[in-house]
Amino acid sequence: MNEAENISSHGRHLLGRRSFLSNNATALSSIALSSLLGTDHLLGSSKEPSRPQIDPKNPFAPRESHHTPKAKNVVVIFCAGAVSQLETWDYKPELIRQDGKPLAGGPPVTFQGPAGNLARPQYEFRQRGETGKWVSDMIPHLAELTDDFAFVHSLTSETNTHGPGENFLSTGFVQDGFPSMGAWLSYALGSENQDLPSFVSLLDPRGIPQASINNWGPGFLPAEFQGTLFNARNPIRHLSSPPSVTQSKDEAARDLLKRMNARHLEHNPLDGSLAARIASYELAAKMQLSVPEISDLSTEPDHIMKMYGADDESNPTKAGFAKNCILARRLLEKGTRFVQLFNGAYASGGRLNWDGHSKLKEQYDVHAEILDQPAAALIKDLKQRGLLEDTLVVWCTEFGRMPMFQKGAQGRDHNPDGFTCWMTGAGVKPGVSHGVTDELGRKAIKDVHPLYDFNATILHLLGLDHERLTFFHNGIERRLTNVEGHVIHEILS
Amino acid sequence: MKRFFINALCLAVLASTPAVAAEPIDFVKDVRPIFEAHCYDCHGGGKQKSGLRLDVKSAALTGGDNHGPDIVPGKPEESPLIQFLLTENEDEMMPPKGARLSAKEIGILTEWVSEGAIWPDGVDLVELEDTSDHWSFKPIRVEEGEHTIDAFIDRALQEKGLKRSPRADKATLLRRLSFDLIGLPPTTGEMDAFLADDSTDAYSAAVERLLASPRYGERWAQHWLDVVRYADTHGFEVNTERKNAWPYRDYVIKAFNANTPWDQFIREQIAGDALGKAEATGFLVTAAALLPGQIGKDEESKRLARQDELGEIVINTGEAFLGLSIGCARCHDHKFDPISARDYYTMQAFFAGVHYGDRPVINPELDTIVDGLRERLRPLERELERYLLRAGEGGKRASLSAKGNIEYFAPVKAAGLRFTVHSTISGNRHQPYIDELEVFNTEGENIALNSKVTSKTGKPEGAIDGVYGNESAWKSSVKGGGSLEMAFENPETINRIFWGRDRTGKYPDRLAETYTFEIKTEGGDWRKIADASDRASFDPKKAKEDLFQLADFAKEDQARARVIIEDRKPLVEELKQYHGGKQLVFAAQSSSPETMHLLNRGDPEQPTDVVAPATLSFLNPVELSLESKDAERREALADWITDPDNPLTARVIVNRIWQWHFGIGLVSTANDFGNLGALPSHPKLLDWLAAEFIESGWSVKDLHRLIVSSEAYQQRHELHAVGLAKDSENRLLWGFPSRRIEAEVIRDSILAVSGTLESKMFGRGYDLFHARGGTGGFKPIESHLKEEGRRRMIYAYKVRMEREAVFGAFDCPDGGQSAPRRSQSTTPIQALNLFNSQFTIDLAAEFSERVRKEVGDDPDEQIQRVWKICYGRSPANEELLDAGYVVREHGLETLSRVIFNSNEFLFLP
Repeated sequence: MNEAENISSHGRHLLGRRSFLSNNATALSSIALSSLLGTDHLLGSSKEPSRPQIDPKNPFAPRESHHTPKAKNVVVIFCAGAVSQLETWDYKPELIRQDGKPLAGGPPVTFQGPAGNLARPQYEFRQRGETGKWVSDMIPHLAELTDDFAFVHSLTSETNTHGPGENFLSTGFVQDGFPSMGAWLSYALGSENQDLPSFVSLLDPRGIPQASINNWGPGFLPAEFQGTLFNARNPIRHLSSPPSVTQSKDEAARDLLKRMNARHLEHNPLDGSLAARIASYELAAKMQLSVPEISDLSTEPDHIMKMYGADDESNPTKAGFAKNCILARRLLEKGTRFVQLFNGAYASGGRLNWDGHSKLKEQYDVHAEILDQPAAALIKDLKQRGLLEDTLVVWCTEFGRMPMFQKGAQGRDHNPDGFTCWMTGAGVKPGVSHGVTDELGRKAIKDVHPLYDFNATILHLLGLDHERLTFFHNGIERRLTNVEGHVIHEILS
Repeated sequence: MKRFFINALCLAVLASTPAVAAEPIDFVKDVRPIFEAHCYDCHGGGKQKSGLRLDVKSAALTGGDNHGPDIVPGKPEESPLIQFLLTENEDEMMPPKGARLSAKEIGILTEWVSEGAIWPDGVDLVELEDTSDHWSFKPIRVEEGEHTIDAFIDRALQEKGLKRSPRADKATLLRRLSFDLIGLPPTTGEMDAFLADDSTDAYSAAVERLLASPRYGERWAQHWLDVVRYADTHGFEVNTERKNAWPYRDYVIKAFNANTPWDQFIREQIAGDALGKAEATGFLVTAAALLPGQIGKDEESKRLARQDELGEIVINTGEAFLGLSIGCARCHDHKFDPISARDYYTMQAFFAGVHYGDRPVINPELDTIVDGLRERLRPLERELERYLLRAGEGGKRASLSAKGNIEYFAPVKAAGLRFTVHSTISGNRHQPYIDELEVFNTEGENIALNSKVTSKTGKPEGAIDGVYGNESAWKSSVKGGGSLEMAFENPETINRIFWGRDRTGKYPDRLAETYTFEIKTEGGDWRKIADASDRASFDPKKAKEDLFQLADFAKEDQARARVIIEDRKPLVEELKQYHGGKQLVFAAQSSSPETMHLLNRGDPEQPTDVVAPATLSFLNPVELSLESKDAERREALADWITDPDNPLTARVIVNRIWQWHFGIGLVSTANDFGNLGALPSHPKLLDWLAAEFIESGWSVKDLHRLIVSSEAYQQRHELHAVGLAKDSENRLLWGFPSRRIEAEVIRDSILAVSGTLESKMFGRGYDLFHARGGTGGFKPIESHLKEEGRRRMIYAYKVRMEREAVFGAFDCPDGGQSAPRRSQSTTPIQALNLFNSQFTIDLAAEFSERVRKEVGDDPDEQIQRVWKICYGRSPANEELLDAGYVVREHGLETLSRVIFNSNEFLFLP
């Protein structure tokens, strides 16, 4: 049946002749939609939806973007726990002046409880580089690079709770169970490298981030587009057989399986799903070679290990994160589409992530040490190898923090009303600071951008129109940006 | 509604507007061109910002989401449309970007509104779709005459010049039926018997055997749990254990096995608490939910969280039963379906009395277990009583424990009891909590359970509900004090009271330190029977001591008491698992309905009209009053959904069941029967099935019989080029649509063929991870060597958003959003998991062991047996050769591992 016939008259009228395929790549064959979609329009956006053609036998084959991309690949440095904008990138001299005073007209109660008085930034700020950008001493290595960064100081989130906040940052929805940005990108673009997963999530050595799989899950996209979890310390699960199985048995098993599946296919040679399973074992076998190879950092020279801080024996967490940063670079070198690099783990009273409610300075001293040198080294290393030409580097966190300390505490509560993330690399205008929060850093007041806009901008740099990248699920044409989102052109080169 | 103020400046502008023409303004000639030039980009056919469109008369005069009408005929000064053109306020100014309208244009529009905003009928260039004019909203219609599934299928095939494939062979059919109906392969015995049975009803006998198997409910309940996004944790970042979700899972399994009529199944899930099936209402609260501690302390966060939890109930009800995305109308009218934002909130009002939480459930099986344990405890406690120090009789009694304290006294006839707290251990900084207060008669029965609270501080019902633990405790509303007074059903002779702050031992705080117990005599006087004055002073180190502390006995009796206390311990531990005798279920907690408002743009901070419960306005709406009670509301909603005249309900479930048999529904979008959903591939077949289904008394098993007895279901799976060219997705069923079996079926089948599948049904889930909740991550259990871990996967403890480490990758839904149909992805991670996991290696060894036991050590015999068990057939010669080499060189285990990974094992034939 022609899919176009399979829609009610109203559906057709409302949406043009778009096809409503089932929620997954069809098992039989890939369906060419372009002819159906060529001239059609998405209601509400006057944009035609683009559904990538997924070949079930080769789901990671590279696919065309909507427009010429500025960036081919992305690494997202994801700081879990809500990094304070006030201790890092958003300099507020007025906050220093009003230190210890109550915030006039401020909320008496914030997320965790009663609000205390305004508190000055806990680190000294100074101007950096050519642009003279004020950045704190908390992150001296990253601060050196700010001439290359494009900051958005006026981001907002829809929630003040970490789990939903990370969901929102990664999926565009506060609820659990929507596809993550990396999954959207793998789905849209496939991968340049057929021996490695297209989307890799490198977990922080301290543990998993708060929204866990929501950050790398496929949601309702086909499962192959989810992030593959590993890091420098923990390899991909089940990458090799248990030690009790010898190599010769492994080979014999793989060989027999291949022959049995091939024989079985003879009964139904046109069944694409059978062929796809055969192909998946071949890709798995390739990964068994390529992943250990890429994870083996022993080939990295000493000066590189030193540059990242991966040799820092006094701080194993920092060294662990630094190794993840090196691994990120190696994956990007090999054409991995989306690398998610977590800094910070789960809820732990701010001990394991950036959730500085009670002892902010004390805890940030520790976290900054882990983040700063390795992350800065990653950017410098990408640059010196020429990889920054087509790699986008994003630094983000789920929301920001209040200018007040919490009552009776030395830390700041959640603030989704104005916080900072930045990007650098391919397609990004260097040295820009876009958007403004009020003089105390409480709320974004100028060029306010919900996180939708930030995500729309990332898709844009990868050649994708966030309004066209859709997937039909439970009655709705779903997008990473829900029904919102505007590209922030001011930070693009 | 937003209020409008026309400022002085605006009025001045309006007043100074020159009369544009002596003739009346003409809409088509004068007004529409202005709209076209400035407004239609955002308020026309493509976009309707703020829900406003100005290209269609009826829509334009109704207005958008934010105000009532934007055009008030005759009153430009009250018309938001004009206000937005004049204002200097950047947030309201229209158009928001680009050039503003000229004074002349504003003048024309103002004049037009003044003249009554005359908009002739029939001049619009576009017509507004009537979104309620849609096939699925119309009554189910069946043409006169005899119908069969095959006749409908064949007709559609003929139209495309296609035909059905021949009937599959018997072995294939039994495998197909068995995977489909019970989620397991047939045993060799079943296969042999079926192949040997030449009678005409061999096939239908096999169907009946499978439908009668308890395994059937375990298989089909999983389909439903996918739809309702069932999980055993609360979700979001803390993802804590939802301890008592599983009674709902068990309810669904039992309902399928009992062939509970579908209308009744729906009614129980919406309003089961009023029907003695509280566990069924687990349906309402299956969504991820923020726990109180995770919601912001500020009032805005709390209001938003409440709206979110109610929203999930509306979404679930709409998708699961009606196939409608009602949730889309939370912030604005549905863009494609005739569901207004008001409809959303009137639907939400049916659930205004529902809260998420644990509640007791009636469970006769559990009662038997608990009664048995109590029976065994009684003589031990009787004996202990003989040695207990009595209150106020001179002995020094044990210091207080949060876990439980005994007040023992001479038997006394009492009509009631009063418990007064005078102070708490925290120096009265907190309100005291009492999780349970048990008053025993001399028969050893807790008569507090049947007593009535007559006076109280806070809500003390939780102290006499038979449920242990903080969640159902009496939480006094007064710091450092409080009292609870109860009247017994009849005056009784009592001699013992047990009370504690948290009998489960989790919370040692908020414990009463000084208190008095008094009884009410039959004459109505109050008499003190116990207080804290003869207790050893409070010792935090002893705050978690169990009941029957040795210090409660006289020195000389302690040796004997110690022995009995030790005997008592295991019984108490076992009893504790059952929450003091009552099973809880995470389900709907019923309370008096809150007042519900229509919310502007879904924002809880912008409530507008108060709304009463009403069903969707375009479908024979049922309305209730604002005063209606919670149970009444939900029952009315269930009645409306299950009304045989509701055109959606039967169609939606019939379609789901078809989908679960064939892999794809007649409507491919099982959760969406609205305008954006797919059209049915066989509309008449769908309607006929729906009508038959209602006629059969909403019998799901009858529908299975109807479907699996069709020739369409029994045909071969053979893909050919002609079929693929004309119908690439095989929607017309020119062959049986084969597909990979699901994650649960793979795991269960590996266990089944290995002979180690546990058949134990129901109860708390077994663990796939080392943790049941929390933030530290879920480390998988690699080897499932214990019996528990060999139960069917539906009994696994389901961590929301965390896929099982081996099989989860096979498209297991994560419990986040509804999964009406499982995707069928194929990934290298699946291959790695199934090839290399410890589970596969363990089970390959066990399967090999089974085969060796059955046929001995001859490789050829072994291979014959393996093929028979796993594929239901004999190996071909070249298979025998291939496999024979591997078995001889690398052992039977290597072959077993290959079999578990083979396509033939993993595909529904």
